[in-house]
Amino acid sequence: MDPSDRAAPYFAAAERGVLALQRCEACGAQTFPLRARCPRCGSTRLGWSESSGRGRVFAHGRLERAALPELAGRLPLTLLLVDLDEGPRIPARLATGETGPLRAGDAVALGFEPAADGTPLPVFRRAPG
Amino acid sequence: MGAREAFSGATAICGLGMTELGKVYGRTAADFAADAVLRALADAGLEKRELDGLLLNAGIGQGIDLSLAQTLGLGELSVLTQMNAYGSTAGQMVQYAAFAVHHGLARHVACVFADAPLVEGVRAGQAYGGARARRPGLGSILPSLGFAGPIPFYAMHAQRHMDVYGTTQDQLGAIAVGSRAWAQKNPQAQLRGPLSLADYHAAPWVVAPFHVLDCCLVSNGAICVIVSRGERARDLAQPPVYILGVGQAHQLQWDDAAPSLAQRSSRTAFAMAGCAPAEIDQCQIYDCYTFTVLTTLEDYGFCKRGEGGPFVASGALGPEGALPTNSGGGMLSSFYMWGMTPISEAVIQARGAGGERQLRRNARIAVSGNGGIFNHHSTLVLSPHERS
Repeated sequence: MDPSDRAAPYFAAAERGVLALQRCEACGAQTFPLRARCPRCGSTRLGWSESSGRGRVFAHGRLERAALPELAGRLPLTLLLVDLDEGPRIPARLATGETGPLRAGDAVALGFEPAADGTPLPVFRRAPG
Repeated sequence: MGAREAFSGATAICGLGMTELGKVYGRTAADFAADAVLRALADAGLEKRELDGLLLNAGIGQGIDLSLAQTLGLGELSVLTQMNAYGSTAGQMVQYAAFAVHHGLARHVACVFADAPLVEGVRAGQAYGGARARRPGLGSILPSLGFAGPIPFYAMHAQRHMDVYGTTQDQLGAIAVGSRAWAQKNPQAQLRGPLSLADYHAAPWVVAPFHVLDCCLVSNGAICVIVSRGERARDLAQPPVYILGVGQAHQLQWDDAAPSLAQRSSRTAFAMAGCAPAEIDQCQIYDCYTFTVLTTLEDYGFCKRGEGGPFVASGALGPEGALPTNSGGGMLSSFYMWGMTPISEAVIQARGAGGERQLRRNARIAVSGNGGIFNHHSTLVLSPHERS
């Protein structure tokens, strides 16, 4: 299967505002990014599950120089690495309009914002807790 | 005697070949690589026909491959392969070369890195990033988010260190400023102009907390080292640089709770060399970013986790400091030959050939390589002396 086809369920869920994670039907491990085989037990029986969308900021950085022209007018943007409650660490951005200080460990909650081509991108807002 | 003790000090780097490095245009990586191997042979006083091993590591441009053996007319090799674990590869090539000569699989093994991503008239970051293919599927969201290449990831790990331990921008800057001061003593360095902390703060941001001066250079060129058994190296043209300890570690992603990969790699290497961190005289650290230096020094045990900021700002890494580090100016100011940058400087220092930047204490030199996003690490302990 084309690896981009494998991502189709992810993008379909993202259109509904849901972050889909691969879930191993053999051992239950949830993974991100996409794999052909469970990195924990080696099974190829991978299905999908929905992330709660809750997590904590592992790290953040302020993007001041963009490779893509579509981002140049929107700088600075805050890039995030978020450790989801389910385990995986995902790359994302701070949601538009979120301001104020941010620290590693802060609780955040998932949303999506469209890229220039309409692709839903994972973004996070500060959350209680 | 155990296997590790028998290996420690039994092999040595006997040859070093460095081409012109930096903004050198009009030559391919393959041409640089052949040049570096021939220079290393001449440096060692070896004939080409005596070389029976070749390990190679292509940089971002993927400009060299096994055909280098044909280019060089190396007809009777006992060891030949291409390796890649990114920035940790050079250290690993030296390790596998040392294993090969130690166990009699080959007599003299050349390890070469070559890359030529710089194109005249194209900005370095663009030239380097341009060689990167866009990934299909889910990987396509990374560039749309604003993630391009490794810089955002390293910058964010640095920011995490600031959040958790209170590390400051001045402390990152101290590494950049210190590297430039060293580079001013290195005739091969790409950047030799003075650099103050104010200059550092005034430099453009890339991904905060990284200014452009927190990120390494991009360079064209090649570096080769030749590894042989110690007793063979002693008969050659240069003073042998003995390999006292080696280590590697690999991990899937950064994990605060686990011993870091640099910790694991250095513990293996230091134990083999029979030394504690306090007995290391100088460091040649893989400085893809300022922060990599800070965190590697912590993980190697020169200061505690979280205390790297005050440590690097104390002057410890300078010529008169307790732990002189990156005496050639590193990849931040001199040239970016992946893991061959720190290895070549360690060889120069161990030989006492550092000229204006030569350090008096060189009995144990720790050398690091780092690849991926803290995914791969290699450590060498090099010395002008056999293990006593």
